[in-house]
Amino acid sequence: MNYELLVQLLVNGLIVGALYGVVAMCFVLIYKSTQIVNFAQGEFLLIGAWTCWWLMTEFNLPIWLGFPLTFVFMALFGVALQVVVLRPMIGEPIISVIMVTIGLSMFFQSAMAWMFGTFAQPFPQVFESQSVAVLGLQVQSAYIMSLVISILIMIGFYYFFKYSRMGLAMRAAAFDQQAAQSLGVSVKQVFATAWAISAVVSALAGVVVGMVNGVSAALSFFGIKVFPAVILGGLDSIVGAIVGGVIIGVLENLAEFMDSQFLHIGNLYTIAPFYVLIIILMIKPYGLFGTKNIERI
Amino acid sequence: MAGGHSMMRCGEFRTSYRADTTIFPTPMSRNFAIAGVVLLLVLPAFASPYTLNLLIQIGYLGIAALGLNILVGFTGQISLGHAAFFGFGAFASAWMNNNFAIPVWLSIYLAGVLTTAVGMIVGVPAGRIKGLYLAIATLASQFILEDFFARAEWFTGGSSGALAQPFTLFGYTFNTDQSYFYVVLAYTVVMYLCGANLMRSRDGRAFVAVRDHYLSAEIMGINLTKYRILSFGVSSFYAGVGGALYGHYLGFVSAEGFTILLSIQFLAMIIIGGLGSVMGTLLGTTFMVLLPELMEALSQLAGGVLPGLSQGIAYVKQMAIGLAIILFLIFEPDGLVHRWRLIKAYWKLYPFSY
Amino acid sequence: MRMTFAVKPLAVAVATLLAGAAAMAEEIPVGHLAAYTGPTSDVGKPYGQGIADALNYINQHGGINGKKIKFETVDYGYNAPQAIATYKKWMSSMKPVAIQGWGTADTEALVQFVTNDKVFFMSASYSGHLTDPAGKSEKTKNPAPFNFFYGPSYSDGCRGVVQWAMEDWKKKGGQGAPKFVHMGDNHPYPNAPKEACAAYAKELGFEVLNPIVYSLKPGDFKAQCLSLKDSGADYAYLANTSGSNISLVQSCKTVGVQTQFLSNVWGWDEYSEAAAQGAGKGIVWVVGAADWNSNAPGMKTVREISKLSDPQGKEARPLHYMRAVCGVFYMRDAMIAADKSGGITGPNIKAAMEKMKDHVPAELEGVCLPSTWTPEDHRGTNQVLVFQSTDDGFKHIYTATLERRPDWLGW
Repeated sequence: MNYELLVQLLVNGLIVGALYGVVAMCFVLIYKSTQIVNFAQGEFLLIGAWTCWWLMTEFNLPIWLGFPLTFVFMALFGVALQVVVLRPMIGEPIISVIMVTIGLSMFFQSAMAWMFGTFAQPFPQVFESQSVAVLGLQVQSAYIMSLVISILIMIGFYYFFKYSRMGLAMRAAAFDQQAAQSLGVSVKQVFATAWAISAVVSALAGVVVGMVNGVSAALSFFGIKVFPAVILGGLDSIVGAIVGGVIIGVLENLAEFMDSQFLHIGNLYTIAPFYVLIIILMIKPYGLFGTKNIERI
Repeated sequence: MAGGHSMMRCGEFRTSYRADTTIFPTPMSRNFAIAGVVLLLVLPAFASPYTLNLLIQIGYLGIAALGLNILVGFTGQISLGHAAFFGFGAFASAWMNNNFAIPVWLSIYLAGVLTTAVGMIVGVPAGRIKGLYLAIATLASQFILEDFFARAEWFTGGSSGALAQPFTLFGYTFNTDQSYFYVVLAYTVVMYLCGANLMRSRDGRAFVAVRDHYLSAEIMGINLTKYRILSFGVSSFYAGVGGALYGHYLGFVSAEGFTILLSIQFLAMIIIGGLGSVMGTLLGTTFMVLLPELMEALSQLAGGVLPGLSQGIAYVKQMAIGLAIILFLIFEPDGLVHRWRLIKAYWKLYPFSY
Repeated sequence: MRMTFAVKPLAVAVATLLAGAAAMAEEIPVGHLAAYTGPTSDVGKPYGQGIADALNYINQHGGINGKKIKFETVDYGYNAPQAIATYKKWMSSMKPVAIQGWGTADTEALVQFVTNDKVFFMSASYSGHLTDPAGKSEKTKNPAPFNFFYGPSYSDGCRGVVQWAMEDWKKKGGQGAPKFVHMGDNHPYPNAPKEACAAYAKELGFEVLNPIVYSLKPGDFKAQCLSLKDSGADYAYLANTSGSNISLVQSCKTVGVQTQFLSNVWGWDEYSEAAAQGAGKGIVWVVGAADWNSNAPGMKTVREISKLSDPQGKEARPLHYMRAVCGVFYMRDAMIAADKSGGITGPNIKAAMEKMKDHVPAELEGVCLPSTWTPEDHRGTNQVLVFQSTDDGFKHIYTATLERRPDWLGW
């Protein structure tokens, strides 16, 4: 066995997986507080990345200005989307809600291609050195930055949900909408906030991936890659989402290791997570951390 | 069907349960359906190949979409992997025809049977999970099957694809649009009659019970796991037959064509047409087939006026599909079939339609 | 009399109709399938633009012996059923004698149809199996007599760069057998040259390693790059399109891979060079015609053609544009020949095409590679231009000349 390769692949998996975890967390945030499954999560990454790219190349803004402006835009965008498109869908069957977000995803994908073209566009260089060595593996600096920011965001989330008024309201609404409403929580506000936060954090992930691979329509594929992570962790567990993301990241790389060293099947890297997903669902239908619904007639 | 029952024509009296569960709600609607089929029978004599091609598309896609509607609209399950089953049917029929010399008319049905088997395997998790978890499980099966298509050289021809021979019957080869139109029409009529008939059988009612309240259904003695898996099986059968018809029409099946995008388009067809409606499935399929053509015509028109716009319209075409899904779900969640019923009711009650 | 009032407009109508028909007869209907949207739109755009510009240019410069080409461009979004629907629409209205197609999706879907309807079909799908019109090779399952393409097939392109790689290895004084690996998605297009090229590489003395799979969609490919590094390959053939190749060379640069990358005709271009931000330096790939900066005499014509959609002449066209222009001009020459020998019909254009021997369109001297088609062999050219991305831009470093080996026909 080639241990050096294995270790490098594992480190790579952990770092990429953390990013999956962040996007999965955004997904869960929306699902938990508004019961909406967002198939357009990948498009949030795409829109965020294109916005930031546009600000930085068109107006030559520095990163410390481009970033916050992108976030402000994405927050407004998230709220607008919720109010205009998703509010009418409250109480509709799950298939309709899924389809609305799929429709959104198709719409924005082609809208972005129309506005920004179909070529992958490189991000202006932000960091002095493009890559940093971690345990013998060269890792793009953008990933390290995203790792740091993600950890900060996670800590922020923790305090937000534990201590802040809005955070508590969101948890209450997620637990029981009617009860929360009767106690004076504005559910509308909670929904809007959830979409805004999710859009902003996704945009962050989008910008990071854009810095590494260039901005292109392929970013939206991230939204699909994140599903195994979300399901693995359980749809309604934020911690689960992060763990699920890391597991998927590591799994992909382990699959690549097995493939290149022993099996020589090819393509295990992309397809293995989906096999694992089905196996997990057969054993634990609500994911590793999800709560089982108890229904009464 | 509720609209049809509450607003019957004058002189329509139902005195038995049998009369209440006919395939067509009224003799009138039956006559119209028969007249429609007869009209289609004479159509190839004067329709252009282009029109026939669109009708053929509506036929094979409509068959597959009906399968999805049985699964989603009638049984309340979710599938994001319908295109993969559609593709499996196309490959299976070509494979059986090429390797075992099974005539095409039979291999199309056998492809349906094979696809049923695959669909039931995929449906096994459905016995345990539902809602979003099921949606994602079927999404996973979509990717797994797509990978299988590119990999299974013995079955699909791998990356170079499989050849599908034209449909032949009694030594006559149906390889023009005029002749193949009749093949698709025959299959479509049979499959739609079977579909409508299924819904008035015991199994069909069990599907609806599972959809409406699965716990109540279980208490009434319906085996949930059995019917959920069965529903996947039936749905895959339809997808398989539709796919096989598609394959023999093209003459060539490539692993490229059965992506998640097609799965989404199938879902869009049944949502735009109307969930849980046989007639709506056909309307929705027609809508989805004609939409890109309409957009293309518009872009040609606009391109004549503003040359720069025609390239942008290409994206608008894509956006229109997404937008159509969103608008229908927000403003017409019951689909085109609901609109159709309103129009019918309007004329029935004319001029007192308030 | 009353009759005259009725007859007169009727006669006028008939006259205009006849005049219309006469005017119609002076036009040659041609279909143009483009992919401005969909998964292949990044390269589909410059290619489609090249076709449209070249057709317009021909119309402005005398057409086909004075007859104008009447063409209709349809964006089919790389969606096979829509390509078929468009084809049927054309066949029932304008009845094209020739079609300029695009990629694998439309070409493969339409093979059967154009063969039945005898329509001349030219596209940018360079699959090896399209080169065997008579089905002489046992590897050909579905002969495509009416399909043509301009440029080397995917397999021949790969053979060409492999040939370069061997020379390069010898020149560098490498010891032992160099290691070669095929990289690409598990997908019809990247797989097209996989076996044929590996067989040739083995023949030349390469050690062929297990192929590495990476997605056609751009992404982070550090894992695959680590595998590549671990395998110790000296030459890696990237069979995907440029979008995912950009990601791959970037990821591999980060990880520190030293392998020499080779790629196919869609694998690298001016846009990828810019998007990869230097990570693609040194990559070697197949080019099917002269590049924009070339000073070949024919480039003057290409610049004129380009001005049709870019009047200021500011745009620098990517490599794919020139291939599109060449394809259209070969079709034009075949049409002119067909016109002289019995009229412009699908079979006549095909026959004229199959009479060409080392042919280069007159105005495109030095731009298009001399091409030969015969009724048994649709491998247009046996030359492969090999380019390398260097610090001073793209450089033509090698021209591989491949034999027309019978066992390579249709493979």
